[in-house]
Amino acid sequence: MASFKPTKIQVYPKLGEKVTQDTLYWKNYKAPVQIKEFGAVTSIDFSPVTPHNFAVTAFTRIHIYGPFSQEPVKSFTRFKDTAYCGRFRSDGQLLVAGCEDSVVRLFDVSGKVALRLFKGHTKAVHLTDFTSDRYQILTGSDDYTCRLWDIPNATELTTYTEHTDYIRCGVTSKLNRDLFITGSYDHTVKLFDARVEKSVITMDHGQPVESVLLYPSEGLLVSAGGRHVKVWDLLKGGQPLVSLKNHHKTVTSLALSSNGQRLLSASLDRHVKVYNTTNYKVVHNFDYAASILSLGLAPDDASIVVGMTNSILSIKHRKNQEDSKEIAGQQRRRPSYRVFVKGKNYVPKQDDYLVSKPVKEHLAKYDKQLQRFNVSKALDTALGTYIRFRKPEITVAVIKELDRRGTLKNALAGRDERGLSQLLNFIIGNLVDARFTPVLVTAAEMILDIYQSVIGQSPVVDRQLLRLQDLVKREIEFQKDLLEVLGMLDTMFASSLPRKEVPCSGIATLDWV
Amino acid sequence: NRVKGLLDCGDSADENASEMAADGGSSSLQLPCVFSPKSRQFLALCAQDGRLRIWNTDSKTLHQEYVPSAHLSATCTCIAWGPCRTVKEGPQRKKRKSEAVQVEEKADLLAMGTAAGTVLIYSTAKGALHCTLDGAHSGGVNCVQWHPEESLLYSGSDDTNIVEWDLQTGKTRSKWKADHAAVTSLCVSPDGKLLLSAGHIIKMWDLDTKEVYRKFTGHSTAVTTLRFATTRPPDSNGLYFLSGAAHDRLLSVWQVREDGKDKNSVVSFTLTDEPQHIDLVTSNSKEEAVRLAVVCKDGQLHLFEHFLNGPCKKPLSPSCTVQMSDTKESPIPIPLLAAVLGADTRTVMLAYGSHLQPVMEKVEINTAERHVCLTRDVQTTLSLSMETTVSKVKTPIVNAKSKVLVPGLPGHKAPLKGTSQGSEKRKKDTDTKEMSIAERLGEIDLSTVSEKGASKGTASLTTDNFAVLLVQGLESNDASILNKVFQTRKEMVIKKTVARLPLSAVLPLVEEVTYTFVLSYRAALMVRWLKAVLMHHTSYLASLPDLVTQLGVLYHMIESRVKMFHKLTKLDGKLYLLMTQVSANICSVVHSIISFNLTSQELSLSHKERMSLSSPHFCSYTPGSCEAVKTQAEKFECCF
Repeated sequence: MASFKPTKIQVYPKLGEKVTQDTLYWKNYKAPVQIKEFGAVTSIDFSPVTPHNFAVTAFTRIHIYGPFSQEPVKSFTRFKDTAYCGRFRSDGQLLVAGCEDSVVRLFDVSGKVALRLFKGHTKAVHLTDFTSDRYQILTGSDDYTCRLWDIPNATELTTYTEHTDYIRCGVTSKLNRDLFITGSYDHTVKLFDARVEKSVITMDHGQPVESVLLYPSEGLLVSAGGRHVKVWDLLKGGQPLVSLKNHHKTVTSLALSSNGQRLLSASLDRHVKVYNTTNYKVVHNFDYAASILSLGLAPDDASIVVGMTNSILSIKHRKNQEDSKEIAGQQRRRPSYRVFVKGKNYVPKQDDYLVSKPVKEHLAKYDKQLQRFNVSKALDTALGTYIRFRKPEITVAVIKELDRRGTLKNALAGRDERGLSQLLNFIIGNLVDARFTPVLVTAAEMILDIYQSVIGQSPVVDRQLLRLQDLVKREIEFQKDLLEVLGMLDTMFASSLPRKEVPCSGIATLDWV
Repeated sequence: NRVKGLLDCGDSADENASEMAADGGSSSLQLPCVFSPKSRQFLALCAQDGRLRIWNTDSKTLHQEYVPSAHLSATCTCIAWGPCRTVKEGPQRKKRKSEAVQVEEKADLLAMGTAAGTVLIYSTAKGALHCTLDGAHSGGVNCVQWHPEESLLYSGSDDTNIVEWDLQTGKTRSKWKADHAAVTSLCVSPDGKLLLSAGHIIKMWDLDTKEVYRKFTGHSTAVTTLRFATTRPPDSNGLYFLSGAAHDRLLSVWQVREDGKDKNSVVSFTLTDEPQHIDLVTSNSKEEAVRLAVVCKDGQLHLFEHFLNGPCKKPLSPSCTVQMSDTKESPIPIPLLAAVLGADTRTVMLAYGSHLQPVMEKVEINTAERHVCLTRDVQTTLSLSMETTVSKVKTPIVNAKSKVLVPGLPGHKAPLKGTSQGSEKRKKDTDTKEMSIAERLGEIDLSTVSEKGASKGTASLTTDNFAVLLVQGLESNDASILNKVFQTRKEMVIKKTVARLPLSAVLPLVEEVTYTFVLSYRAALMVRWLKAVLMHHTSYLASLPDLVTQLGVLYHMIESRVKMFHKLTKLDGKLYLLMTQVSANICSVVHSIISFNLTSQELSLSHKERMSLSSPHFCSYTPGSCEAVKTQAEKFECCF
């Protein structure tokens, strides 16, 4: 006797966004922690030393947050006006920040009062950074100059006046203490060498430059301004490498993931985009509630911190793998693997006589009912609430199987008002799904055949039939449109097909002659 | 702060970072406009063209016009009328040999602060400049205030200093640094002992010692107005003053308390816009209310009446709001310029219309109503050229001392363009000083327009925006924007949008359409987009070498969907037939049931009982139960 074959559930390809390694990686963050700051968050900088605190510059304050704290562990409030660009030194001991009142302040991270004040700029200072030897400070200001300062004496060493507009961003080289890069609203990015007193390389970005970023190898430079993110090859003398245009508003901030494989750009259009740095394609996209001004990425991508114009700081922490495992373990203790493989991995010896034991097949409920020819009950099971809404493909598969057996009519017949309206509801909900249409149209026709005589007795069923009619009408209209589109496409394909060399060689030769 | 501060604009189509600075600074420029004290006989007004005009409020005519020598470069920033003087109270004028003006008690002197840092004293009686006070300020003067009794004048400036001028000598009597920031507003107390100054914070100075008496903090923007509201001594807990700030729709009232615990404002008045002109009647005792008339920047007048007696938590709304509109069919509001309260509670003197030709009027306002709208016929079309032909054209005398061509002041360039000296200076200026933001914006705008103008053409605004939005959405893959665009149902909009789409965006659009096609509820809308794309960009699409691979997915998707067209149409026919019969059936079924009931009623009672037993089955509907009904009916028939 042939064994019962369970209903085959057709697996349909999942539609929509492709799940890649990147989406899995970047989706693996917890729900964001949101902290309200005092004003627009203009800068976020992570401390290079553990525990990787980060400094958040907003309005007239700089707050330092710990990696998991939701309250600032430290705050610097001694600014007369809006503060800008709070940055840590490479040993995480000092913090420098510019200010709207043109004074640059240097703080001890553990102290409160500024250690040094650097006065000399005449306008707001938006760029501050430490050089790699840790004894000098680079500043760039709205007075079009950038300057190098000596920390111990608080004196100005050099002034560069090459830019012709506000200097709003810049970065110092981590490998060479004399090199630094500034980006300005005059559309240029300049590489300066402190040894030669003027810029060495000038790159034209084409838009006011809002942010620059240096790769860890320092061979490549990324600049953001306008809607473009551009990558430059410094070793080739500032050759443009790639220009990315994936935002629809000004890009304000850049960050590099810790292994240098992914580049992140944040923009006023409320998106953070993640690029693959080998082919510079967007691999992931984060959405935020407001325009983003600043972006920070913790070492090992442990958290993504974003500062927005509505003065909200959003911190996303990476989900910890041990955490999730622990939670799962607490929920349910499963039997160990040993139990499952017990006796199954036994390899028979040569002179063993094998007695096969029929493997008990687990059948779904509707299959069991189908096995017992309880067709109506099987359909009822398949129309259960969970299956109907979550896995309509099972319901459809059961209907199809019933149709194949020729017992669909029996299964559909003999239903009361509730049962019939449930069935019709399902059909109305799924009829236009191209995957289910063939099966459901047959079912619908059958229902009409069966219940033809009693139509008009129940207002509920009548209403549903009217809805079905309406739906079918609309679908037909739609498909008519689609057929028209198909016609258009056909024409287009026909005209675009490469013309075959019709046997006209004679003419061709004639031409040649 | 060009980018970072101003970024929270909405979804406007093409935002450049610097474009958003448009409404950043300098919009709080207000033209000074003051009524003369006591009799309110004159209205002094400094219009956009830099001239001072004095209007007679009785005859409603132009009384005097005065053109300061540097009226284009050093615009007048503030005006204050001097206290009214009688003959014997004008000693300094006696010295200056201007005997003609000494008539009865009358407003005479007018102090004007200029952006160049000088203070001009103008005499209305003489109709000429009385004297110039200069040399003390290095920045523009923001406010001038007269001392109520002595002939002293206070001026606050951008250079953070307050200067006390002695008008008898025309020299500074004292000068002190008031704040870190520019002094934007001043006010002398009615008894002449205290001075309020507003810079970074509001400070109250003792005028005898020039020491800070109190400090008040609370405004985040520049304070534009300070007024004392009561005339009580400061240590009686009864001295109040009020302050208004730029971009602020609240007037705050502060109490000077004995214990010095006056950190926050005690009362606030809500307005519809930032205050432009304030007039108030001070209260002398607790039983007397303070009356306040505030003209806002939006041209509305708000009247308040409040008993100042300690703090009041809720902001107070006006007791009456007055608006003015013209008499046309579609009324346009006429902006009010200034308003002063009359002696009784109802009369208000209003000045409205344009600054060049204001109209003055004494109005009785029914303050019982919360909102009053007046209609006036005003000749709003006033040509400037006519004005200039009437007045004597004088070329301003530019001497070495006067500071001209300071960037950032309105209207200072055009007239001096021709002179060689001017252009030289201009050059130097542009080298040393930064360009104003407006100029930068202008340049940026021009360049972007020339870039994009070609592709966009002159489209109607809405569809153009849609096209831009769609391109933006496709570029950044922004779901919300795409949703917004794709939800349009208007065929015209879709067609125009697609027509204006740049070629580079066509394929992404088709991809997006393909992607959203799988969601059936959206598909019906997407077909229209698809059709429009195919129709408008036929040749472009046909020219693509890999067209089949690009559109193949879409083609197969559509094909699989229309496979069932045949069967669906049949189903539709079936449904149609049934449903048309249903309506007919319903009538007949009802009829038959009624007749059946009638016949059964004619039966014996015992049968009736059975019928009532079986009657629920009529309501139920399953074929089985129907059959049961049928059989029962047959049984009945058999019985008979």
